[in-house]
Amino acid sequence: MKFFLAAALLAASAAGAQPSLDLADLEGRTHRLADYRGKVVLVNFWATWCAPCREEMPSLERLRQALAGRPFVMLAVNVGEGGRVAADFMQAMPHGFTVLLDRDGSTTKAWGARILPATYVLGPDGEVSIRHFGALDWSSADAQRRITALMP
Amino acid sequence: MDRRAFLASTVASAAVASLPWRTASGQSGWRTFEVTTRIDIQRPSGVSRAWIPLPLAGANEWHRDQGDAWSGNAAQAEVRRDPKYGVEMLYVEWPASQGAPSIEVTSRFSTRDRAVDLSRPGAGAARLSDAEVKFFTAPTELIPTDGIVRETAEDAVKGSRTDLQKARALYEWVVDNSFRDPTVRGCGWGDIKSMLEAKNLGGKCGDLNALFVGLARSVGVPARDVYGIRVAPSAHGYKSLGAGSPVISKAQHCRAEFFAAGIGWVPVDPADVRKVVLEEPPGKLAMDDPKVLAARKRLFGSWEMNWLAYNTGHDLALPHSRGPKLPYLMYPNGETGGERLDQLEPDAFKYTITARELKA
Repeated sequence: MKFFLAAALLAASAAGAQPSLDLADLEGRTHRLADYRGKVVLVNFWATWCAPCREEMPSLERLRQALAGRPFVMLAVNVGEGGRVAADFMQAMPHGFTVLLDRDGSTTKAWGARILPATYVLGPDGEVSIRHFGALDWSSADAQRRITALMP
Repeated sequence: MDRRAFLASTVASAAVASLPWRTASGQSGWRTFEVTTRIDIQRPSGVSRAWIPLPLAGANEWHRDQGDAWSGNAAQAEVRRDPKYGVEMLYVEWPASQGAPSIEVTSRFSTRDRAVDLSRPGAGAARLSDAEVKFFTAPTELIPTDGIVRETAEDAVKGSRTDLQKARALYEWVVDNSFRDPTVRGCGWGDIKSMLEAKNLGGKCGDLNALFVGLARSVGVPARDVYGIRVAPSAHGYKSLGAGSPVISKAQHCRAEFFAAGIGWVPVDPADVRKVVLEEPPGKLAMDDPKVLAARKRLFGSWEMNWLAYNTGHDLALPHSRGPKLPYLMYPNGETGGERLDQLEPDAFKYTITARELKA
């Protein structure tokens, strides 16, 4: 697997209203984007069958750890697999981020996350600043620098 | 199970197995498949590119796409959407410096068999807008709707009043007048005007179903080709109507739909009727063979969904390519050093497509 570190791939998003997000986590608690207004939010769409998603996920956890204590939230949205499959997988994947369930894939579609993994980073104003399709080493210095630059 | 019950079920199974288009128990629900397309550009020369069709986006009554993922050594891989038809493809690019360019795209989708009740035409609320009717009756580069196409269609639909009746007449006309030509490369490009002018209605699905679509459009019946690939054997007892192996690199197949007001989009597949005639063992079946009759009846109004739908597009320009437009996108396409690779030759290109069903 090749991780793409090129700055060009961390493209600024096109203008436009961002779809909403209103999903339950593995414990059934509902999470909405509005809950995290004022923080930088990374939304990662993934599935257990997606090999690059699996390879990328440890780097997401490293990023989360690196930014612990900062105004930063990470939401990992499982696409269409249901709670049991996602929970079983996450048991073997050390993580401290929130896992959400997009059971019918409608949120994934609304966000345009056609290729997995798909990752969006929203600034404190809720606008998408970074979107990336495909695997990336999110713990790289370049990725961290770009994300911290969005923080208030 | 007692002996009597065992005997009864055995007899029933034998009877079902011998019927044409047998009903397959347990196959009516949703099934989930994973399709993997692997591309290895052979003898790369300069920048290499690939365009890989992706499953039909979104969800409907018979299809739900569940996402795609890729891995490989490409420098760029992004989803591109054709603005006119909504055709989605993965555009891939490798720099000249990349040795052995390769990519593997995995797609998951769910599907279930599709059958439309044609017994109560006009009963439902399904309608197309005027703009949609115009769109789905418009000509394409290889599917004109005037001249010999319209003359042929008008003759074939004489006495038909409704769109459903016209579509039925055209379906029967295509089945009666065309034939499957196994020498056609790929699935045929659907140059229907040339076929009609040459009075040679031999071809494969890309030809015969395009003929149905063109004839329908020419007399005002909204219709479209649906391009895709077979992913599993047929559960209805037809060897010729399914993928015979997990490797489906040459299992591309297109189908057709027409729109009937009050009913909605109706699936048809006259090309597969002719495929049954030619290929269903022992081969070269008579038109009154029970297997042909059963397929002919079923393939007006239903599709067995052992098949993945890609898109409904025509005349597609591939992004970042200076090559010609494609009549349709049903195969992986590629180029290296500005030269197109032969999309109909998976072994030379090369690409491999595999499919597997995911059991719950």
